[in-house]
Amino acid sequence: MVEFRKASSQPASIKNTAIVTAVLATCLSSALCSAAFAEAAKEFRYTVGAHANISVDTQYGSISVKPGTDNEVVVTATLKSDNVEVDQQQNGNRIEIASHLLRGTDQRNGQVDYELLIPPDATVNLRSSTGPMSAERLQGDLTLEGAEAAVNVRDVENGHVHIRTMRGPITLTDVRNGHVEVASISGDVHLKGVTGPLVQVTSGRGGISYDGDFSSGGEYRFTTHTGDIRVLVPADVSADFKARSVLGRVQHDFPLKPRHSRFPEEVGRSFFGTTGQASSEVVLRSFSGRIRLKQR
Amino acid sequence: MTCSDVEQALPELLDGEANGAFPTEVESHLQSCAACSGLVSDLETIAGAARTLAASEEPPPRVWARIALELRAEGLIRDQPADAKLAPGRPILLPTAARRRWSSTAWWLAPVAAALVAGGSYVVSHKPATPVAQNQAPVNAAPSSAPSPAGSAPTTPWQCRLPAQASMQPTVTAQTTVEPEPSADDQQFLSAVSTRAPSMRATYENQLKAVNADILETQAYVDRNPRDAEAREHLMEAYQQKALLYQIALDRIQ
Amino acid sequence: MTDPKQAITEAEAIEQAKQGHEAAFEVLYHLHKRRVYSLCLRMVANPAQAEDLAQEAFLQLFRKIGTFRGESAFSTWLHRMTVNVVLMQLRKKGLPVVSLEETLEADDEAPRKEFGTKDLRLTGSVDRLQLQRAIDKLPPGYRTVFVLHDVEGFEHNEIAQMVGCSIGNSKSQLHKARLKLRDFLKFMRAEKAKTG
Repeated sequence: MVEFRKASSQPASIKNTAIVTAVLATCLSSALCSAAFAEAAKEFRYTVGAHANISVDTQYGSISVKPGTDNEVVVTATLKSDNVEVDQQQNGNRIEIASHLLRGTDQRNGQVDYELLIPPDATVNLRSSTGPMSAERLQGDLTLEGAEAAVNVRDVENGHVHIRTMRGPITLTDVRNGHVEVASISGDVHLKGVTGPLVQVTSGRGGISYDGDFSSGGEYRFTTHTGDIRVLVPADVSADFKARSVLGRVQHDFPLKPRHSRFPEEVGRSFFGTTGQASSEVVLRSFSGRIRLKQR
Repeated sequence: MTCSDVEQALPELLDGEANGAFPTEVESHLQSCAACSGLVSDLETIAGAARTLAASEEPPPRVWARIALELRAEGLIRDQPADAKLAPGRPILLPTAARRRWSSTAWWLAPVAAALVAGGSYVVSHKPATPVAQNQAPVNAAPSSAPSPAGSAPTTPWQCRLPAQASMQPTVTAQTTVEPEPSADDQQFLSAVSTRAPSMRATYENQLKAVNADILETQAYVDRNPRDAEAREHLMEAYQQKALLYQIALDRIQ
Repeated sequence: MTDPKQAITEAEAIEQAKQGHEAAFEVLYHLHKRRVYSLCLRMVANPAQAEDLAQEAFLQLFRKIGTFRGESAFSTWLHRMTVNVVLMQLRKKGLPVVSLEETLEADDEAPRKEFGTKDLRLTGSVDRLQLQRAIDKLPPGYRTVFVLHDVEGFEHNEIAQMVGCSIGNSKSQLHKARLKLRDFLKFMRAEKAKTG
């Protein structure tokens, strides 16, 4: 049975529509009609102003966010069973959506997949344990958190991007001009075309790979505990590099101009130096992972 | 009027709006019927006594602590500059504006997570005779209003975790890398995860083992190389990883 | 935690809270914490849950403080918000917010005749602790209306609107709750008399 939740304080712009597709399992008798598994899609629409704030929280399920029109948020939620509900409310420019699991619901029954179309300047907060989560072609601030969720962010301009996962892999592509802060305990992090005033990535046991040019005169800090750091940059990169691994091997194939540093340089464990105008600062650190700086 | 009639009428009569002015036939019944007048008197006594219960209970201090934590996380408390320039080597925890709400039922994890971070930075900032680490991280990830488990300053929990009293004790000597015994906090953490999200327990347990092993390994290296500021930075970051694990689990436990 | 200095008025605290000052939020919290927490505790009869609910009520209030214009009393606003937070929680858990029976059942109709005359009145004042325990024992549906009306002072029309029932239903639930409490209290008193 599909149940609607009324939003707490709403203008008349909210519309709820439900499309129910029921797939019946074996029915021995009407009294024993077991687990009629109904997957239901629900749509919610909200009118918002500039810089809306949108949160989606689902324990199980995917979340995908794309740009839509400037003053409307459209949320399509696909519920895998009727053991999970969608709670949603709007307070002015703030929209909160959450999957509400009924007692005893597991990952299979509790899954809700969300697709959102939002104004490109909206602030977005997403959380899913299982994921995946994706966001693309946006300009507002993004915060994504998932335990095992794979996170994929592409084509984001100007917004701050904050991501953290436990072991979900994280991929950022063409993210520019904002602060990027990524933290994972053991997920791998892949950055391609990511530049901005601050790009800070930490993974404990996962690896970090960067394919880009360290431009924008920004500060780039990649840190791992045991994971490897691999950086691929063009020959004309302009940066001040510091790299050190306490126990792992460190290599570069750039003709770095040496720079005075407080750290004693240990061949094979660290390198310091600049290329070009040293416009950006790049700090690569690992406890026992390998660090490799390679020319494209 | 019978007792039964009076009883039927009581919900309306006693709703407080009549102010005790019962209709005549009810009054005369009550004057002659001890049972009904006793009932009316009792119900009025109960209603009167109930008023004294309003605002009679005091919530424990942790309620305000959690509210303040959340207000800060949502940027509603703005006593500090919101957009201070990021210092180099800033802790990996998300800036407060982006942090999700702490789960209120696992409230005890919040100070543990904060203490892990604060304790890690104590390691960095309190070792003498070593070059100042260029990447020394300021302690700004733990909100000032978060209570520590010992109810005192954040450095206290770290002191409880010094090697001699470490809550994580390897089961064999430092020669071999072993899985540490989970601390009391870790046990409580896993127990909370098991109760609230049993399907995730194995995952969290494995991650916890991994971060604990990393902490121990790094601690062992720092003990052998006390002058290596970089290594101490990594030890602090290993603690931050553990705090991150607690936070991710904590946000999910509902 | 010590009580805050109440050097500022509530109105000043509200204005300062809008500016994001922590001390102002704290003043507002301490001014209203007992009322909010007590309401939650009476309604759910569980201290841990009551803490969560009180926290949530204050957070919802503080999130909206920017929109407070002073057209109604701040405490009224907070009071209602607290009730809504608790009712939403009860609904989420599938607990009955209020029972649906409109009429008294047969066995509730008349005072039980097996009590001797001298036992009919709750003589003296009602023991507060016993009353608290008795309220906790009430079925959730009865408890809600009793707490809202007799403890918190809401009118039946307000209760009816908040919980989504009729005014008649609210009145009959209240009456049943009081009858049940009377029975509990008499039982407790009799037990206490036995053990001396």
